[in-house]
Amino acid sequence: MSLVDDLVAALGADRVKAHPLELRVYDKDAGVARGPVAAVALPESTAEVVACVKAARTWGVPIVARGAGTGLAGGAVPTEPALIVALTRMNTIHEVDLENRTAWVGPGVINLDLSAHTTPMGFHYAPDPSSQSVCTIGGNVGTNAGGPHCLAEGTTVAHILAVEMVTVDGEIVELGGPAPDPIGLDLRAVVVGSEGTMGLVTRVLVKLTPNAPDVRTLLLAYPTIEGAAETVSQTIAAGIIPAALEIMDRPMVQAVENFVHAGYPTESAAVLLAEVTGHPAAVTAEAGQIERIALQAGTTEVRSAVDAAERDLLWLGRKSAFGAVAQSAPDYYLHDTVVPRTRLVETMTRLYEIADRFEISMLNVFHAGDGNLHPLVAFDGRDEGARERVMEAAEEMVRVSLEVGGSLSGEHGIGLEKRDLMADVFSPIDLDAQARLRDAFDPDGALNPGKILPHGSRCYDFGMQPPLSQEPAL
Amino acid sequence: MGWITGAAPTQAQLDACVTCGLCLPHCPTYRATGDEAASPRGRLTAMAAIADGIAEVDETFAEMMSFCLQCRACETACPSLVPFGRAMEGARAEIAAQLPGRRRSARRWLVGSAIANPTLVGAASFGAAVAQRIGVGRSGAGTIGKVRGLRRLPLRSSSTRGKSWPARGVPRGTVALLSGCVQDPWFAEVHEATISVLRAGGFDVVAPPTQACCGALAAHDGAVAQTRALAAANVAAFDGFEYVVTDAAGCGAHLKEYGHWAEGGDVLAARVVDVTELVAQLLDDGQLPEFGSRGQRVAVQDPCHLRHAQRITVAPRRVVAAAGFDVVDLDPSGRCCGAAGMYTITYPEMSESLGRAKADEIDRSGAAVVASANPGCEMQLRSYADEAVRIVHPIELYAAALQGRD
Ligand SMILES: Cc1cc2nc3c(=O)[nH]c(=O)nc-3n(C[C@H](O)[C@H](O)[C@H](O)COP(=O)(O)OP(=O)(O)OC[C@H]3O[C@@H](n4cnc5c(N)ncnc54)[C@H](O)[C@@H]3O)c2cc1C
Ligand code: SF4
Ligand code: SF4
Repeated sequence: MSLVDDLVAALGADRVKAHPLELRVYDKDAGVARGPVAAVALPESTAEVVACVKAARTWGVPIVARGAGTGLAGGAVPTEPALIVALTRMNTIHEVDLENRTAWVGPGVINLDLSAHTTPMGFHYAPDPSSQSVCTIGGNVGTNAGGPHCLAEGTTVAHILAVEMVTVDGEIVELGGPAPDPIGLDLRAVVVGSEGTMGLVTRVLVKLTPNAPDVRTLLLAYPTIEGAAETVSQTIAAGIIPAALEIMDRPMVQAVENFVHAGYPTESAAVLLAEVTGHPAAVTAEAGQIERIALQAGTTEVRSAVDAAERDLLWLGRKSAFGAVAQSAPDYYLHDTVVPRTRLVETMTRLYEIADRFEISMLNVFHAGDGNLHPLVAFDGRDEGARERVMEAAEEMVRVSLEVGGSLSGEHGIGLEKRDLMADVFSPIDLDAQARLRDAFDPDGALNPGKILPHGSRCYDFGMQPPLSQEPAL
Repeated sequence: MGWITGAAPTQAQLDACVTCGLCLPHCPTYRATGDEAASPRGRLTAMAAIADGIAEVDETFAEMMSFCLQCRACETACPSLVPFGRAMEGARAEIAAQLPGRRRSARRWLVGSAIANPTLVGAASFGAAVAQRIGVGRSGAGTIGKVRGLRRLPLRSSSTRGKSWPARGVPRGTVALLSGCVQDPWFAEVHEATISVLRAGGFDVVAPPTQACCGALAAHDGAVAQTRALAAANVAAFDGFEYVVTDAAGCGAHLKEYGHWAEGGDVLAARVVDVTELVAQLLDDGQLPEFGSRGQRVAVQDPCHLRHAQRITVAPRRVVAAAGFDVVDLDPSGRCCGAAGMYTITYPEMSESLGRAKADEIDRSGAAVVASANPGCEMQLRSYADEAVRIVHPIELYAAALQGRD
């Protein structure tokens, strides 16, 4: 007998993969790292997920949950030979409750499919990562995904009311409930963003948001990136919270335009996409106000999407940005950090300086409204020393954002990529608290081991006393 | 062992993929299975693994590749502009070379629960028909049963090959017609419509006698030598014409890629137009009349080889509207109907699941007529759509309007 035999017995041969080539296609997500895969299982029900967990535990193999594999931080990439449990087939929208504006969905439901399903009913699922046409609700829960429209609506955690998950012991638990503010410890919020280290999410109760009665999307072009950043600061200072504020720099706009042909101004130094939603009168007033601010900040072109088709095309451009990068080089390394809005311009200047110094090509696209930067470095991994140079530059870039008071991750999660930078942000005591929380769910470290927390997070790893909870019960 | 033929996917093609995953939801086989191995990104990763020498061209690789419909929906979705169709043809050429005589394995792919009635269609269709006529296809070609979805065969045999038709009025030029291997005998009405509209638009129409089958299916199947020979024959046969017109999207898509297959192929490719493209142009130029709406809805189905491979979506709608119909779209209009050449016989479950989904889309559209610019799609739609639904080529609707018929 073997792990694979047990899985085949539970799921059938069709939904278990063990051939090296099949494992190969599951050994990475949309980021850069690869990891070792022992087997892949594609369960269709919570009961089957339980069976997968039990089989893996029996054979002492760690378990890594996977959605669509669009993660950019290696969250779904194993650090040691693991069973990948891909939840993509659990893609049923179980129940839509319009009265309470909620829906129970499977973890494999694609973010945009959910909105497409509920839009005719007058509702949508608000968090809209740029990967929303692909990524799963389970993956969004795993990474606490954000997106262009999270500026006004908040990230995933604000839209998850409850989760059903399978614990490391194969137990099915439900955390949270229909109430927006559950009584007692809010464990649901602990699971959101935990990157599969607390359990495998098998059902999610999401909040649905009413569709806006009116939408206006503005495309603003600038001769300098400062002008675009200035518009963002002034807009928010004027008390307007647009649904989205997104900046792309020239190299990015050129790559994107090459794909979507939406008429993006490819000669401008920066393009700002601003979207306002609400009642028609308010939308008109706010759009007018943004336009005035933009003109003061030196915009050279103001375009308002005339219809839904043009709006969709503009957004398709923005949302294809990461993929479009490869037109210039086969590999890319994507940063994800949040800096205070007031220091956007300064940070950008320093990032361009680093890119110049390391002679790497950098393209920029970011959620300007909340200061979430995504500098993208395009490179060819087969060039001698390229990867090392990019990584070195990357560390400097992250440190710059930390220096200006930024955070380590805006929305893509910590995963593998930034794990070892956690110690720059958190004190040993903070890290220990996080490690103990994780231990409470997964004492043996069988769920996505080696993720989020660096080795040495627990106090006793620092040579301190083991925490009380580790002492044998009397 | 890596690649062994000159037709293999190139490093540049494979490098273009940044594994962002944005193509996944557009891929019918990924949608049906949720399996990365059945996704464009997974297939490219597998090809790259062969190129890097860490995996072999074996049965598993071959199976991953042949499960692909070659619909190229991933290509339109890819912001990195990965030429997936070319890479896949390369992979198939390698499989044909490294695993000669390979038959489809017994392994069945899991297909979503979407199939209401999972009985297999024991019949072959377009791909099989072509295979039978031109003798390609290593898989299942010998076991062809009943061909479904065909039009009623015309009583007379009426090959267009070697014939010519003069323009009506003063000629503005001469165009060549690709007769095609299946279109010619089985879709004679489509050719008739094409010819009559082009003549009305002021073109002399010629079907060169020495032309051959375009070779699309041979290319999809990895039959490199045959593909090259057919391409070379056509480059010679179509030399010197202003336009080479096709009324089968699959053929047009392949002709437009002749640059990869024959010397002088790029010259021919640049002159290839789908009939709807040319007629839309004639309409824009005022060379052909437009008819007012008669209040009847026609659903336009986008063949993958028109929409994804040739990026043509406006022209067929323009032609149908000019014929006096109200155009409705199928939703989602970019999803493959499951015909896909030989696919109907090699993966009947997947093909049927897509065929049924397309039939549901037609149902929802409420249209009694569907216009499809590709014979393979036409047969597939006819196999699954309600019997009352009429399936025609867009050009037939326009030709009828032009002649004052319905
Ligand atoms: C082009 C592009 C644009 C992007 N834009 C954004 C953006 O705007 N905002 C943003 O936040 N992110 C963005 N991302 C990153 C990524 O799409 C998100 O992190 C997304 O939430 C990942 O979802 P997924 O289904 O692909 O999950 P995966 O990548 O498969 O997994 C992500 C993490 O969640 C865990 N996980 C997955 N499913 C489950 C489950 N059922 N139970 C428990 N854990 C689970 C995994 O173990 C892993 O740690 C983008 C990525 C790409 C490629
Ligand atoms: S969209 Fe293009 S770059 Fe992205 S995974 Fe698909 S093929 Fe690769
Ligand atoms: S060609 Fe079609 S079936 Fe093949 S990978 Fe692309 S989208 Fe999927």
